Amino acid sequence: MARLRRQGEARISAAGRIRRGLAVRNVVVMDNDSLEVRGLTRTFGDLTAVDDVSFAAPAGLLTGFVGGNGAGKTTTMRMIMGVLAPTAGEVRFGGDPVTRADRRAFGYMPEERGLYPKQPVLDQLVYLARLRGIAAPRARAEVLDMLDRLGLAGRSKEHVEKLSLGNQQRVQIVAALMGTPRLLVLDEPFSGLDPAAVDGMVDLLAEHTARGVPVLFSSHQLDLVERLCERLVILKSGRVMADGAPADLQRTGALRHRLVTSGDAGWVRGVPGVHAVDVDGPVALLEVADDASLQRLLATGLERGGVRELTPVRPTLAQIYREVTA
Amino acid sequence: MTTTTPTRPDTPGTLDRTGEESTRGAWLVVMKREIVVRALNKTFLVGLLVSVAIIAALAGFMAWQGSKTDSFTVAVPAGDAAATAAVASAAAIPEEQGGGAELTTLEVPDDAAARAALADGDADGWLHPADGGADGGAGGWVLTGEADPDSTLTRLLTAGVAAETLDANAQAAGTTTAELTAGGTLTTDRVDGDAVDSQTLFFASFALALLFFIGALGSGQMIAGSVVEEKQSRLVEIMATAVPLRHLLAGKILGSSVVALAQNVVFAAVGLAALSFTPTASILPSLSTSLVWFVLFFAVGFLGLAALYAVAGALASRTEDLQHTTTPMTMAIMGVYFLTFSASGTFETVLSYVPVANVVSMPVRVLSGDAAWWEPIVSLLILAAFAVVALLVSERAYRGALLQTGGRVGWRSALTARA
Repeated sequence: MARLRRQGEARISAAGRIRRGLAVRNVVVMDNDSLEVRGLTRTFGDLTAVDDVSFAAPAGLLTGFVGGNGAGKTTTMRMIMGVLAPTAGEVRFGGDPVTRADRRAFGYMPEERGLYPKQPVLDQLVYLARLRGIAAPRARAEVLDMLDRLGLAGRSKEHVEKLSLGNQQRVQIVAALMGTPRLLVLDEPFSGLDPAAVDGMVDLLAEHTARGVPVLFSSHQLDLVERLCERLVILKSGRVMADGAPADLQRTGALRHRLVTSGDAGWVRGVPGVHAVDVDGPVALLEVADDASLQRLLATGLERGGVRELTPVRPTLAQIYREVTA
Repeated sequence: MTTTTPTRPDTPGTLDRTGEESTRGAWLVVMKREIVVRALNKTFLVGLLVSVAIIAALAGFMAWQGSKTDSFTVAVPAGDAAATAAVASAAAIPEEQGGGAELTTLEVPDDAAARAALADGDADGWLHPADGGADGGAGGWVLTGEADPDSTLTRLLTAGVAAETLDANAQAAGTTTAELTAGGTLTTDRVDGDAVDSQTLFFASFALALLFFIGALGSGQMIAGSVVEEKQSRLVEIMATAVPLRHLLAGKILGSSVVALAQNVVFAAVGLAALSFTPTASILPSLSTSLVWFVLFFAVGFLGLAALYAVAGALASRTEDLQHTTTPMTMAIMGVYFLTFSASGTFETVLSYVPVANVVSMPVRVLSGDAAWWEPIVSLLILAAFAVVALLVSERAYRGALLQTGGRVGWRSALTARA
């Protein structure tokens, strides 16, 4: 994450612009190469898998796509990639409806992925690159370079079935990232990776956001999403429940405070505008209605003496997630 | 981060947003992969080599059988001119009349010596008058063997003894055999000229049906397997974003067609080359014409079959489903196999115009000299029409079924799917 923060001026200002636009949902300043979905809907018979989903993945940012099983993440991603036709709504890239040529330059990592088990790593990556219009020599050089960086340099001639699952996943990552994609759509890219592999993957993705590419990835690992994402879209039953920067989402959640006193903190129950969520001896977790109530709480505390600590408690992403999907 | 990003979005070689034209050759990339992967597949190569070896061995066996001359040693009583003459007469029977064997006589002084010669294997048979010649030969002749005498030797000597006896009796009656049998010969002729005999025709139609069966079934299963492999692994989702699915389908159909055709050309060439060493070499010219038609018909017909097999692959969602989704194709191909090599008469004429069955039936009719010059052309056009329809239908069904996951997909749902 520190590495991400160190990135170029352009990205930070882009992020700033996005965050200012956040006050009203779905109003986003579109960059040249941003992804935007509007009113995307997909039904399968009677089931509405994706229901009027709108959000944006701005250029140069990592956008996390979160939701439980069956929330519609994969269906949405497949519609973005044109693998599935939407029942309604549209996908826009760079401000215009997305075209086949656009999609050809998108990097995609489907869920439940696999490769040709009996073909050597290098051969099949070059094949996939050539399908995307990259000439064989260039594809070869790029693939070898990426395999080298993922620690698979010596294994390019091995059959995919001989690799461990983690290494197979790295090969799939190379398949998505080769050919300098203009957008990355990654379905559960981190699942099954060990912590070192996650870091390597994060580095790779950071390179792409640094050159202004929007990256949309889905994940079940909320701690990871919280650590990585500049933007977050939470889906539930095919609908967008929350959409914005994690910090903004945390601010919209009920803000709590923690009070630590030298004696018993039971007195907080008597302060108007303050709701004691939990009092355990000298430690109290409180919901404070407004700033005036907070001042009143502090004044009362100072009057009684013995206040050691009064700190705002930001809800974790997991808490927000539970809240919005409850 | 160990290196900085080496490229920018507008680097040459990366697709720009107007890069549509570069998808044009995608089918060629797919086709090449299909061919290379199949050609390097060990199972396929071993199968091909074994088949070639079997064809060559069969032809070699036939050639050896044909060129082999039977030779026998016949024991005759010493000084028995009639027995020696009968053996000589048997040896003189020409090959066309089932003769051509090499017969040598071994004169034996007495019965004991004859039995010893048989027991030692010095003689294959012992020709001697019945009753030891007591009744002056009127009792006929006996051929004694160690066990049952060889059937070829028996047949030859039966004719030899008959001829020799006829000669002797004719002479006794004051006439000759030639006079007695004058005008008594029968030869055969046929109205349709010098065509292939029915036995050869049967074997040729059997061979063509088998070539069709092996080629269509093997390569068909290959294309279905290759489609479901990509579907199951979701590779097709990656590829679908890169190239139109039409290209993927076209590349697969053409690739597997090339392999199937090449395999059949190899089989046909090995078969023809081997046949040229056998006594049936005389039918090579008409067989070659028929084989050229077969290759042409197979090429066109397999395009249609491959397209349908690709759909069968797309209808499955896992490799395990293939057996179910390819059943109609397997049944059709087996039906063609059994019907075409056993068909005859009007039924065969009808089959020679029915798509896919005509791949075998029409070349067989060309071989038998039964088909007019325009018939294979019309039949080929009908087959081409079938292939075109199959390709069009399969393009739609392939697209419809390929991206539907979760269980087998039905034809109806594949054809009506949105995407």
